[in-house]
Amino acid sequence: MFAVVEGPIDVAALISAAQRPDCGAISTFVGTTRIDESGGASVEYLEYEAYRPMADRKLEEIGAEIKERWDVREVSIVHRIGRVEPGEASVAIVVASPRRGPAFEASRAAIERIKKIVPIWKREVWSDGYVWVGSQVGTREPADLP
Amino acid sequence: MDGIKVLLFGAAADRAGTRETVLSAGEITLDELWPLLAERYPGLSPMRDTLAFAVNGEYVRGEARVAPGDEVAVLPPVSGG
Repeated sequence: MFAVVEGPIDVAALISAAQRPDCGAISTFVGTTRIDESGGASVEYLEYEAYRPMADRKLEEIGAEIKERWDVREVSIVHRIGRVEPGEASVAIVVASPRRGPAFEASRAAIERIKKIVPIWKREVWSDGYVWVGSQVGTREPADLP
Repeated sequence: MDGIKVLLFGAAADRAGTRETVLSAGEITLDELWPLLAERYPGLSPMRDTLAFAVNGEYVRGEARVAPGDEVAVLPPVSGG
């Protein structure tokens, strides 16, 4: 399953869907929103936006890339957009492989590729303004920018 | 309106103050399209070197050609995950 979704990600369902008798390993990576603090302020929530359907297609491409490089039998990548509260999942990657090595490596590669090629953007909403991560454009004072 | 549709995302939408516009032009390259966009939204100019572009949903370089009916996306550095 490759999808950009607007609500909570059901990680347990993705793991269940990856279970199969020819695989001895399922590696799961879940990216969650973290509260950063700087300049006496803190992040209140994150907001993601995507260029669809290009983002959906890039997730599929990443799935194809890792299947080509590792012996991976199942891959799901789901990215959430919209407002995501602290501690909630913004992205989940589930990879099933006969062996743990390829499962770990493929899952790591998938998140690194997401951060490079999938047209999704994160805005940190702080108690004193906001910042578009990556561009460092926003309403916080430059001195406060991380 | 017959023209080149331009979508803006993230910080680029923020700087331009809009998420979508249409530019009147014939068939031109993206490098030629940029000044038209920057003239309409001067706030975008400082971001120029950080931006990537997609045409009809696929990454392209500045020399790529676009024509009326195409969809150009202005993409700041991605920050998913």
